[in-house]
Amino acid sequence: MEPLSSYIILSSALLGIGIYGLVSKRNAIRLLFSVELIVNAANINFVAFARYANPPMLTGWNIVFFSIAAAAMEATVGLALILVAFRLNGTIDVRKLNRLRG
Amino acid sequence: MTSLQAAPALQEIISLLLRIITSRTFLQIVFFPGFLNVMLSAALLTWLERKVIARVQLRIGPLYAGPSGVLQPIADGVKLIFKEAIFPELADARLLMLCALGLMMLAFAPAVAIPFGEGFVIADMDVGLVYVFAVMSLFPSVILLIGWGSNSKYSFLGGLRSLFQQVAYEIPMWFSVLGIVMLTGTLNLTKIVEAQQRLWFIVPQVLGFAVFFAAALAELERTPFDLPGAETELVMGWMTELSGVPFMLGFLAMYTKLYVMSAMITTLFLGGWSGPGLLPQPVWFLLKTFAVASVIVVIRGTFPRVRVDILLRTGWTRLLLLALANIFVTVALISLGLDWVWRI
Amino acid sequence: MPDIAFLALSGLVIVSAIFALEARELIYGAVGLAFSLIGVAGLFILLGAEYLAMFQVSVYVGAVVVLILFTIMLVRRESGRILEEEEPGRLGRAGILVAGLVALAVAGAVLVLVPTYLEAPEFYRVPLRELGRLLASSYAVALVILGLLVGATVVGGLTLVRVEREEKTSGATQ
Repeated sequence: MEPLSSYIILSSALLGIGIYGLVSKRNAIRLLFSVELIVNAANINFVAFARYANPPMLTGWNIVFFSIAAAAMEATVGLALILVAFRLNGTIDVRKLNRLRG
Repeated sequence: MTSLQAAPALQEIISLLLRIITSRTFLQIVFFPGFLNVMLSAALLTWLERKVIARVQLRIGPLYAGPSGVLQPIADGVKLIFKEAIFPELADARLLMLCALGLMMLAFAPAVAIPFGEGFVIADMDVGLVYVFAVMSLFPSVILLIGWGSNSKYSFLGGLRSLFQQVAYEIPMWFSVLGIVMLTGTLNLTKIVEAQQRLWFIVPQVLGFAVFFAAALAELERTPFDLPGAETELVMGWMTELSGVPFMLGFLAMYTKLYVMSAMITTLFLGGWSGPGLLPQPVWFLLKTFAVASVIVVIRGTFPRVRVDILLRTGWTRLLLLALANIFVTVALISLGLDWVWRI
Repeated sequence: MPDIAFLALSGLVIVSAIFALEARELIYGAVGLAFSLIGVAGLFILLGAEYLAMFQVSVYVGAVVVLILFTIMLVRRESGRILEEEEPGRLGRAGILVAGLVALAVAGAVLVLVPTYLEAPEFYRVPLRELGRLLASSYAVALVILGLLVGATVVGGLTLVRVEREEKTSGATQ
């Protein structure tokens, strides 16, 4: 079996990729991608720790259960917001969407 | 199994490959009940459909290619392979080909979990039921990509309609098997079949069977739910711009899905591979599966088409209510203590 | 061979994630994200959480990715060309720097603080009955709240998107 450190390195790398996306992308949908990647990195972490605990803890898996569902909900609302923002402003470039309007 | 350290000798790699190729699982995947079986069944189903529809419509159907036209699918396949795959200029040809291939792979994926006999399954998963449904939930996105990538209004609308339809009927499908899960307490398809030794699930779960059947028809985009592919409406829906090999892949994928869903109905409600011991278990399974497929084909020849808004409303509300009623019936059964019938 | 499987799956996850962010076409990016999520599901299977893997595939890849694809198709400009002009430049490099630092910090902190030399217990699969029992008893309140959250999301999403269409109510909606 892989040592736990491999999973930690993997999820940290995924976290890094997600943060890079959040910092340097201007397309709102790519920001959403990045958020999903970060949440998935955290989920991998949860499952890995729950598995490698001795005895394996069921709490970890339950947390991931709720995390997946809640992240799906958040993606839904985020996409609806992007749609509305596009309708009102004609763009989804987050640098141009920086004023509260209407 | 020890983990591979540095690059092993070539001899080790070759012996490993030989071991994999002659292993039981690999042979099962390639031949029976895996790849070859699914492909042959899908091709056979195209022939079966054309014959049965023809008889329903007082015609004869394919007649010349082989005895009673049985080799017609091969003739179709060869013709399609030799056809030039024409794509519209602005369509994303790469995406279309990849998605058609992906559709075929997705259609084949659930067959891995479906048991053909006692212990005769490629992958005996403890979550086999959920695995099949998870794979089914991947279809809408691929179809949407094909519809959009064709860069044509008809295809895109067809893809959207397919997407809405399949997503709407996923939920009744999930709910309708909850009764079975409650009665058997497992998601393992082999155990579900074994639990039906005394009585098939179609008897206590009539409502569940009806809902699952309807949802399966909708997932397969078959009449009476075949609006996305209706010739009078949208040419051929999301498959409009496919031709040649991608079309063959998409077309075969639909029939592979038909085979897989029929197999699922057999496994969940009709007792899977159980039958009097005259014939081997896989033969019973195939007989039942093809019987279900024949019923689905006859339904295609008999029923008119459902309008799209009624289709969606039925999926989201009415079928869901029926599935919930099925759950109540199951709870009543359990509280009456009758669930010993399905405990092994 | 868990090692090869782990390497292959983590390679799939990382490469698809990078592709999802760097692809020129948003649609390809969404497909890359789908592959990355499927890779994560594969990792869940490696870690013995098969039901979670199926849950991930059907919820994330089967629903969220479809939504994303949908939204991308709806926010295209009339000309149909790509919506963004990428200019990596300073912001891109700053992004890599920040991301690298954060990832290193997190990984370092965790690896130092947690005794990760612990080998895994023998092969373990999540017992579904225990999971179900736990969900129905200890986590029942959370489950109900999750249901409410889903309801709120549906209502909120529909309300958000229904901006200027009050006069065009079709009779088919419930």
